Amino acid sequence: MDVMGGIRRRVAGACIAVLATAAVGEPPRYGGHLRIAYTNEPMSLDAVLGRSGGDAYYWRQIFDQLVDADPELTPRPATSLATSWEITEAPHAITFELRRGVRFHDGTPFNADAVKFNVERILDPATMATPRASMTVIDSVDVLGEHRVRLNLKRPWGAGLNMLADRGGVMNSPTAVRRLGRDYGWNPSGTGPFRVAGVVTGTAVHLVRNDDYWGVDEAGNRLPYLDEVTIRVIRDETVLVSALRTGEIDVAYLPYKDVSTFRRDRRFRIETMPGGAIAHVFAFNVAMAPLDDLRLRRAVMHAIDPRAINTAIYFDNAILADSGMWPVGAWAHEPSAARPGYDPERSRQLLRDAGKPDGFEFTAVTNNNALHIPAAEIVRAMLRRVGITMDIEVLNAGVATERFFHGRQYPLYMTGWSRYPEPDWLASLAFKSDGYYNAANLPRPDIDALVERGASFYDLAARKRTYLELNDLVLREAWFVPLIYGVTYAAAPLRVRNLDRLMGWDGKMNLREIWIADPSASEP
Amino acid sequence: MWRYLLRRLLQMVPVLLIVTFLVHGLMHAMPGDPARALVGPGESLDEEQLELIRREHNLDRPIPVQYAIWLGKAVQGDLGRSTQNQRPVVEELRTRAAVTLQFGVVAWIMAVLIAVPAGIASAVYRGRPIDYVATVLSIGGVAIPNFWLGIMAILLFGVTLGWLPTQGYVDIFEDPLEGLRYMILPAFALGITSSAIIMRQSRSAMLEVLAQDYVRTARAKGMREKAVIWRHALRNALLPVVTVFGLQTGRIFAGAVVIETLFGIPGMGQFLVQAIFMRDFLAAQGAVLLMALAVLVANLVTDVAYAWLDPRIKYDDR
Repeated sequence: MDVMGGIRRRVAGACIAVLATAAVGEPPRYGGHLRIAYTNEPMSLDAVLGRSGGDAYYWRQIFDQLVDADPELTPRPATSLATSWEITEAPHAITFELRRGVRFHDGTPFNADAVKFNVERILDPATMATPRASMTVIDSVDVLGEHRVRLNLKRPWGAGLNMLADRGGVMNSPTAVRRLGRDYGWNPSGTGPFRVAGVVTGTAVHLVRNDDYWGVDEAGNRLPYLDEVTIRVIRDETVLVSALRTGEIDVAYLPYKDVSTFRRDRRFRIETMPGGAIAHVFAFNVAMAPLDDLRLRRAVMHAIDPRAINTAIYFDNAILADSGMWPVGAWAHEPSAARPGYDPERSRQLLRDAGKPDGFEFTAVTNNNALHIPAAEIVRAMLRRVGITMDIEVLNAGVATERFFHGRQYPLYMTGWSRYPEPDWLASLAFKSDGYYNAANLPRPDIDALVERGASFYDLAARKRTYLELNDLVLREAWFVPLIYGVTYAAAPLRVRNLDRLMGWDGKMNLREIWIADPSASEP
Repeated sequence: MWRYLLRRLLQMVPVLLIVTFLVHGLMHAMPGDPARALVGPGESLDEEQLELIRREHNLDRPIPVQYAIWLGKAVQGDLGRSTQNQRPVVEELRTRAAVTLQFGVVAWIMAVLIAVPAGIASAVYRGRPIDYVATVLSIGGVAIPNFWLGIMAILLFGVTLGWLPTQGYVDIFEDPLEGLRYMILPAFALGITSSAIIMRQSRSAMLEVLAQDYVRTARAKGMREKAVIWRHALRNALLPVVTVFGLQTGRIFAGAVVIETLFGIPGMGQFLVQAIFMRDFLAAQGAVLLMALAVLVANLVTDVAYAWLDPRIKYDDR
């Protein structure tokens, strides 16, 4: 069991925000209207109901989580709705001390009853909450006082605080949820820095400052600084970039092809997040012929030179993967020697060992987008050099995901994956024998044991050791092998300040501390 | 007339039934588990939740039964809720249809404004350079796919010249000038094919009318050419143009599917494309139902307009 067995650990929480980042010289200015754009419209503004990772661009502005985390995914009480917490192991539980004086956008108070309501709402299967799978370790919730609440756990939950930093920890107004029912998703009421002022279906979401917001900056100034935010939907990346250039929008994430021109343009500032995503990964169905043979999977991997893909598709603006699914910047990341690297001679040798010296044929699936299609073409050409023939099927990401992981129609899926720095999330979904994203579902008690062990420690060093062991195993078996780690590039004109605070641990935008140097000039 | 109208309205019912049943069948014929297809890539729902989705949408029952349940609610005006964003489909369709309607009307007006004068000019000046130019342009207009024209228009007017916005939409009733600026490029791309067809139609109709006896009589009376064309010939020459209107409604919806996606316009076309990609079957069925209804109504309006335009046409009540 846990090295901490039985010992209580207290995580002290500061009541006043003291952030790790150095203080800025210039005093922040209040006011202004920030216009940003994103390529997808939200599925829902209710964080727990949305079924798209991109929804976070919207809900991060509207909600706070019970536990917030800094970019390294270390819990940060100063920006969390819980000011401190205590983890106990006999019985397993986490007790939270809640922030006082916080109100939801509808005016109702945030308290222990609200926490209980929100957790139980996620656990109720009828809610259809997306984070439910990562929260079922919670057995029950006890209200211990107006601002004290305990989550009773079925087993130790090492990933718990990190899971609560994502949608699972988002707090909605129980009154608004009950009153609006199924219409709540478009009229959400959180405690976050901005309130929803209007939604134009498929076009834009308009947010206004929550004047009652509890958050403050290092100097004690009330947050947020901005009066208004408009998040526009611009589906085409080329158009999105030209909107940024012409000043139609103020902040955007850049496509790789435009990074170098913006770097040269001195009117813009660029912030980067290395490891902002798994840009390109080979996911294998290890039970499907012909790639059920480990030697052939490794032969495929050894034939691929990720450097060429990074240059041709990502203009050298991404990072070559040196390990598995926990990318650069995630706490469980360590370069791994188990990763099958580029070595065509070894690839040919493995083909001979597997009795296929003249190569073999298979069909892979990839996503219908401007990065994955040309990358698949390059992969096909590289495989042909060692004698392997790969056919490519191109499908919309949702359909490809469903057909690969559940329809079991392809032995290989060349895709991308969001950055998710808490390893238990992917480990439970993809590596566990019954995982939702385990295409083969082969019984693997050794891997299941590692996944369960990783989630059972509260000690970070012990967790990391377990996940590195799991990582090596997955790479050695050529199961999930990343080629390229993504880098997220956020660009904004110089008048947009605190851009270094824009990206949270998940790389999504958070506008809580963004301000504009000339707020009066920002009206369109 | 009224009995004719009633008969025509009743005839719509089987057409709508067939169309919606086909769409229903096709959406469910796609391989894979429709419940799982509702989960976005990288997200997950557990077995218990998937089971609830299947039960809520009757996915565990035979397709005809599912259709019958949908139909029973649809006739009461309930098209269900989008399986993706949870909004009532009727409400979504209302906002999206308003967008497509605005944009279809602008496309249609642009098409007529270009096509009818061009058609008349090329009939009146038959065999002269203006006729050849108009003919070549109209053949081009029919042959060039509208998405290609749309991309070229974005590149030229949006990116190179920077005159017009290329993405998005502003409600024309809220800000008419800005709304129109956003509308010009997509409406042009959408309307150009219709424009080419209407031009060909009005040219040949005009030629035919100009050869009629009454036109010769008018001319013989010493009437000025302008008055002959505008007062006597045009009204009769417009009849085939009205026919094309009915046909073009369908074309505008079909074009909207492509053009709205290209220009980021949140209308019916984009809605349908997304619904299909996301396998949001209730949304797709609702959208197709509305589009089919619109085409049928447009055809009916066309037929009624005939009688009004041409006194020789009467719909018998016998």
